[in-house]
Amino acid sequence: MSFSRNTAIKKRGLGPLFLFVFPALVVIFAVSIYPVIFSLYLSFTDRTLLYLRAPRFVGFSNYSNVVSDKLFWHSLKLQLSFMVFAIPLELFIGFLGALLFLKDFPLCRLLRSLLMLPVFILPVVSGLTWRLMLQPGYGLLASFFNSVSLGPKAWLADTKYAFVTVVLQDVWRMWPFMFMIIYAGLSSLPSEYLEAAQIDGAKFWQRVFHIIVPLLRPVMTMAVLLRMIDALRIFSEVYVMTYGGPANATLLLPLYIHKQAFEFGKVAYASAASVFLLAVSLALSFYLVRASFRGEVS
Amino acid sequence: MKRLLVLCLALMSVLLLSAAYKATINVLLWDDALTQALKAGLPDFEKQTGIKVNLELVPSGTLLQKTLMSITAQSADYDLVAVDEPNIPMVGPLLLPFDQWPETKVYSKPDMNDIMPLAFAAGQWRGAFLGLPVNANIYVWLTRKDIIEKYKDEFKAEYGYEMRVPQTLNELLDMSKFLSKKGIYGWAPFTKPTEGATCEAIWMFESFGTKVLKVDETGYRVVLDKGKAVQAINFYKELLKYAPEGALDMGHAERMAAFSSGKVFSMFNWPALIPDLENPEKSLVYGKIEYTEPPAGPAGKAAIRGAWIVAIPKAAKEKQAAAEFAYWWMSIETGKKLIPKGLTPARESLLKDPEFLKDRPWFAGIYRSLQYAVERPRFEHYPEVSNIIRTHWLNAISNRVTPEEAVNRMVEEINELLKKYGY
Amino acid sequence: MKKAKSLRLILCLILVAVELVPIGVVITNSFKRDIDIWARGPLYLKPTLKSYRAVFENSDFRLALKNSLIVATSSMVVSVFFGSMASFGLVRFNFRLNAFLIFLILMLRMVPQITLALPFYILFRNLGLKDTVMGLTVAHTSFNLPYVIALLLPFFASIPKEYEEAARVDGCRPFSIYWRIFFPLAAPGVVVAAVFAFLMSWNEFLYALVLSGPRSKTAPIVVNAFLGQYAPLWGQLSAGATIMLIPVFAITLGFQKYIVKGLSSGGLKG
Repeated sequence: MSFSRNTAIKKRGLGPLFLFVFPALVVIFAVSIYPVIFSLYLSFTDRTLLYLRAPRFVGFSNYSNVVSDKLFWHSLKLQLSFMVFAIPLELFIGFLGALLFLKDFPLCRLLRSLLMLPVFILPVVSGLTWRLMLQPGYGLLASFFNSVSLGPKAWLADTKYAFVTVVLQDVWRMWPFMFMIIYAGLSSLPSEYLEAAQIDGAKFWQRVFHIIVPLLRPVMTMAVLLRMIDALRIFSEVYVMTYGGPANATLLLPLYIHKQAFEFGKVAYASAASVFLLAVSLALSFYLVRASFRGEVS
Repeated sequence: MKRLLVLCLALMSVLLLSAAYKATINVLLWDDALTQALKAGLPDFEKQTGIKVNLELVPSGTLLQKTLMSITAQSADYDLVAVDEPNIPMVGPLLLPFDQWPETKVYSKPDMNDIMPLAFAAGQWRGAFLGLPVNANIYVWLTRKDIIEKYKDEFKAEYGYEMRVPQTLNELLDMSKFLSKKGIYGWAPFTKPTEGATCEAIWMFESFGTKVLKVDETGYRVVLDKGKAVQAINFYKELLKYAPEGALDMGHAERMAAFSSGKVFSMFNWPALIPDLENPEKSLVYGKIEYTEPPAGPAGKAAIRGAWIVAIPKAAKEKQAAAEFAYWWMSIETGKKLIPKGLTPARESLLKDPEFLKDRPWFAGIYRSLQYAVERPRFEHYPEVSNIIRTHWLNAISNRVTPEEAVNRMVEEINELLKKYGY
Repeated sequence: MKKAKSLRLILCLILVAVELVPIGVVITNSFKRDIDIWARGPLYLKPTLKSYRAVFENSDFRLALKNSLIVATSSMVVSVFFGSMASFGLVRFNFRLNAFLIFLILMLRMVPQITLALPFYILFRNLGLKDTVMGLTVAHTSFNLPYVIALLLPFFASIPKEYEEAARVDGCRPFSIYWRIFFPLAAPGVVVAAVFAFLMSWNEFLYALVLSGPRSKTAPIVVNAFLGQYAPLWGQLSAGATIMLIPVFAITLGFQKYIVKGLSSGGLKG
């Protein structure tokens, strides 16, 4: 992905830039900047949700408390494992799906829209439905897994399988998201490239990997980046499925932060933990974004 | 034309003066059938008093957050707010003590003797009552009387005593063992890692004779009797053998599913959930349930209380109007009108009213349970204490750690917490 | 070729069928009585419309649906309009600020909403935007805009230089170059961005919870209330969720035709 190499209008001064970019920046910053800075300020105070007196400055003690909390590191580990398992699966299945839908066939438009339904469903409803489906006795999935002797009777009561369920739920829900972006990317390609991908035969996969994938790399990178950023904010689905349990086995980072902020009321502490989450986000996306600015020989 | 104008003005002023108030109040409450029922009564309230009520109902899990964000010592976006009783110590400093509530013009203070005394205690903190208990929320014990009818002879032959609503935990255990041979689960726990699990823990601890945290003149002390706590845990683990599959991860949804489909013999429930069990659309066991207080442990009977208190923030702008609303809510007439719509009263007279008892047999259960009400630890930072208790309780009953270790860690961490907050 | 086409169709049908199982569960549950949902096996169905009736009679739900539609549509329109412009600008104009700005914009998206809830509440209360549809739209735009910008970057970047040069040869001003040429070429991406912006606003819960009140509450809040004080009202929850699926599904289906395959005509010819 090369933003600055082969596609730039030469320097024209800042006039046209402002015309295009400025309005968006104004909106974003006007609304987001104050809350972000306020939140950062809070992280250096002892503010609790309960407001009895003005918050006092406490320096870095929130940060050191976060670092010394074993549960924080456990939560971070869970979060990273979750992303390492879920996102590649979503990308892979999404890519295969996009290839499958590459050439139009009857009903393809309807099927594509139907495929997007899991992405559209309220996260809370998704989490609850998976919880229902896994209940021994009347749950659809529970009966299925039981009949093939896969896993324990009650998946959500088992620390390992509850985590698997969280990954499974996310893959189920979000691979069509990857699919849609990759498919849109494929649709933007000139038709000659698409012809190359459609010929069945021995050379098909070779053509896919040598032509299609490199062309799609910018789009796929952005899709992974966006997915990563959103995966770091996953909350509702897991909350209603497991509340972070059993025994904190599914206490992903946003759940940890939510617990600190809204269950214990320790908003300042939660702000500090969020800074760590933000740092993780930045670290993960840095490589991807930097690679895109290096540009590549196309 | 001028005469018409003057006439209109005169009419308007008469109308305005006839209303006792010209106020609008903002009320923040939790969202369920009870508070939804209030909506039906609002037009009447406005007609009687002239007060317009902006009723905001919020899911109970998020009510505390919204309360804390909108109410401080200096400013309050709401004039009347509902507080779940364990949060009273935390929110206490923001609330106007009950004895300082303004005198009202239309509705009068409810008769204190009619309000169940132990319910009233829910709103008490450091010697002051901070609000009115608007519902009697307490552990009610449910038992399937049809199962008793069916198996009582067999049971008596095997165990030697009458099968009945379990009066003690040991009886519950016996009956559960017996019924497991018939393919019926004796009992259902609550084991999701939320406040409900803390309630279970405290219920068992109290039934075995120990509290967790006590407040006295010297401050807070952890008073957990480790021996009794371990006994309680072990007994609960025994009972778990006769609970439905997936018992280690049961929330209200799962418990209701199990009980209403007829698979469970006996368990506790909160009053707000009971109407669903008596609804043919949602339950196969309607009409077959007996409502009582929970069975006794070695130290007696204990029912966890979770009353909701309505309180007026110190910084509220319309305190008098808010008080009117609260008294209206608590009045007997309102109770009688709204009980059919889902209200659960905190008044003794309403709970024992035979007219309601006919269709709502669980009112008797509520009344009985209230005699044995126990509360969860009272502490300004209750959520963190609750978290510690439930984490180790759940670890113990799930066999992730031994009961002794769980209890030790529980005491240790609560002490650390107390130290952190300077007690 | 025919055989390949029908093979594709079959494979896609299987894929969609498997993927839709949980959705199917939600939809069938909306037609079941609560007791049937858990007392009978998962495949039992004795349909009833009671849940839908209850949901539609709920005036809160109707108001919430209306609010959600307004907020989501407004937020989508604003985000896509300003966002695609900004994305274009960031890609096409070569200056050092670009990389920094892109990163900053992405970073804003990364801050968890949980942390921003309290500051947003204080800000909006001071601005008088509490419990207003406009306030909620602004809050939603704050996370939709960076998203749209980021999503469209690769789409604008992949449009070859030749198009631009051809347009400049024709004497077009920058804005016409953007609007007449690049925007349509990036249409598939714009459509996807629009759909996702709408969707994220449609399903958004946290800001709605904190910033809205009786007048401006949105559909997720009301459906969440079906979670009940303790145990979910499964029938109504499923009905509410199914109803919420309809507008987004309709939008996706409607917008599909704008995801045109390849570059058919215009631009390079002539």
